[in-house]
This record gives sequence, C-alpha cells and structure tokens, in this order.
Amino acid sequence: MTNKSHEADVAFIKALAELLRANDLTELQVKREYGEDDSLDVSVSRQVAAMAAPVQVVAPAAAAPVAAAAAPAAAPAAAEDPASHPGAVPSPMVGTVYLQAEPGAPSFISVGQQVSEGDTLLIVEAMKTMNHIPAPKAGTVKRILVEDGAAVEFGTPLVIVE
Amino acid sequence: MSDWPEGYAKRVLAEVDSTLDEAKRIAPDLAGPEWILALSQTKGRGRRGRDWKDPKGNFAGTLVMRPEGDPEQAALRSFVTALAVYDACAEVTGRTEGLALKWPNDVLLNGGKLAGILLESSGKGMAVTHLSIGIGVNLMETPMKEWLEPGAVWPVSLMGETGVQVAPEDFLNALAAAFARYETQFRTYGFEPIRTAWLARAAKLGEVITARTAGRETTGTFEDVDSAGNLVLKTAKGRVSIPAADVFF
Repeated sequence: MTNKSHEADVAFIKALAELLRANDLTELQVKREYGEDDSLDVSVSRQVAAMAAPVQVVAPAAAAPVAAAAAPAAAPAAAEDPASHPGAVPSPMVGTVYLQAEPGAPSFISVGQQVSEGDTLLIVEAMKTMNHIPAPKAGTVKRILVEDGAAVEFGTPLVIVE
Repeated sequence: MSDWPEGYAKRVLAEVDSTLDEAKRIAPDLAGPEWILALSQTKGRGRRGRDWKDPKGNFAGTLVMRPEGDPEQAALRSFVTALAVYDACAEVTGRTEGLALKWPNDVLLNGGKLAGILLESSGKGMAVTHLSIGIGVNLMETPMKEWLEPGAVWPVSLMGETGVQVAPEDFLNALAAAFARYETQFRTYGFEPIRTAWLARAAKLGEVITARTAGRETTGTFEDVDSAGNLVLKTAKGRVSIPAADVFF
C-alpha cells in the first residue's frame, strides 16, 4: 500500500465518521474493493450517549496500517492500539520490513529479549536504503508488531519496547 | 581530470573486509563526509546479504556521511549516487552511449549491470545519524555470473564494453566530484532536479517492467518516479507506487 492510498483511506474513514455524526446514525459498515485481494472493510459505530464517535476499523492485512493511523479517533479502542503505547517504536519511513540482517540469519530481536539503547531492532528498506531502526531506550521487547517482508507506512508501530 | 571536492575526506585501503563495514567502524567519530576506497575487499556485501565479489581492479568504495533530514530524505541519495556513478562512467570513457539507470540505483551499460549501489542508514528516533553509500563498479571484470538471481540483469564491465581501462583511484576522483555536484544540487534545490536528471537517464521508461518485493510482484508500465522517489507503475488495477523492490525487465 502506498502513502497516497493510505491518506485516501484515512480521509475516507474520517468522512464516514462525519457522515455518522451528521445523520445521527449509530452504525455504518462499508466494504471498499480496490482489486483482487485488496479491499478495505470499515465499520464505524457511535454510542448515542457519548459525545465522540468511536471509529473502529476492521481491515484485512493489506490495509492494516490504516487501523493504526485511524485509531487515535477511537477512544474505547485506544487501550488495544499499539500505536498509542508509550513503548511503541514507529517506522520513520515507508518501506519493507526485514527482521533479519540477511535471509537465513537470526532475527535482530525476539519477544522477551533485553535490548540496549541503539541496538538494531529491525530494518526498513526503501530505495535500496537499509534503514536500521534502533531501540530508543534500553528495555525488554514486549511485542513485534510486523512480519518479515511487510510493507509499512510512516508511523506504523513496529515493536514495543518497555 | 576532476578536482577532489572540498569538504570530503578520502581513505584508501589496500584491503578491507567490506567498505560498508569500515564505514560503520569510523561513523561514530566522523568529522565530515568521507570516501573509503578499498583496492581489495574480502567480504563485499550486496543487498540482503548477497555476496559482492570484486576482483582486483574493480571499484569498491563507500561514502559515509551524516546527512541532515529524515530517513526518507536520506534514501533519496540512492538517486543522487546513481547519477554520480553514471556521470563518472561517462567522464572516464568520454561517452554516454549505452549508459542507463535502473530504478532506483543500478547503472547499466549496453543493457548489462555495470554498477550496484547499496545504502545503509541508522538513526535515532525519526532522524538519521549516519548514512553509508556502498558502491561497486565492474571496471575490469564481471564477477557476478555464478550467483546471479534468476532473471537478474547480466553483468558487464567497463573494460569489456568500452575497452577503456580505469584505475579505481582515478574512478574515485571522477565519482567524488560528480557526487559533490549532485549533492549540492540536492541540498540546495531538493529532489526535483535530481528526479528530472534521473528520469532523463532511465532505462525502460514507458515500457512494461516487473517489481518484486518480499513475495509480491507487480508488473506494469513504468510511468514515473514520484516526488518521494517511489517507482510508479501503471497496472491493470490502476497506478501503483512502490518504495522498495527489485526491478526486472
């Protein structure tokens, strides 16, 4: 997925949330087909008693980063959302994730592992540039949120270090 | 003969494991951008751990620097460097005929792969602390045939295609000067003039190509490189822009 379509998805979800509010609806479900194996399922719901319109995104793997980006609008889902976790390490660029230095090599990190500040957690590649993502602080790897070879957007949470 | 560019240091080594590894070692104490040239590499590296074998006489060098800006800016040095290698090849041979660029940074000569470029950056938070640009150019020999990936571009050498023999140190002089020119342009005017110059030298623009990324494959008409450096393909499903891939013709 690209930056452009990501932004378009976020704008689309915002528009749905606005539609919900404006028409005093409580729930809205939309499936958008982009092509084969590429679709976006959005389900937006609102509790009438609450002021805010919680937005929940149910998306297939291809659209996963949208869930992370759209989540700040969703107060009830915030506890579940890794992007808002204080130990989340976000991707500084759009690209492809590699969990090993090279195919066949051991992964840089595993869940439960202790890391020091500056240790490489993983690589994000764009344009033949291997960008080593360092641990922002010493701690324990709590979760690895991306798979080897995954496409990530700017800001996609990669790893949680606590 | 190009003058050595001001503000760039130079380190020439008789032998090293890999100039990219040497760059990693000197990066913490780097005073300014520095070129590392190895007359022999014992453990040259390509993308994703592929070996890069370079017999004596070929160019194996790395520029290590501390760029300003974020990782996406740093990655655009892929295009800056490809242009510099292209210009250096043109200067030392006195011709541009047959030279072309393959997204994002391979340099082709008569349709074969003449040079490969691999960048490594590391950062702190959202900023880049240093960037190493590894460059291999087949000046004398084509070393890579036995470990070519299926469908990969056939390697060629500058000597084999043009009959021109250039010593690695002379090539570095031309390359360092060309890089400094494009780098200044990039810093002053941004990516647009780099993008334009790159597209003017692009192979297969307007033709159907395939981009392969970690298990995914996209085939389409090579339309453009966008303002973020992404490869833009027009496919049956619409326009796709791709930040990371290996391109096959």
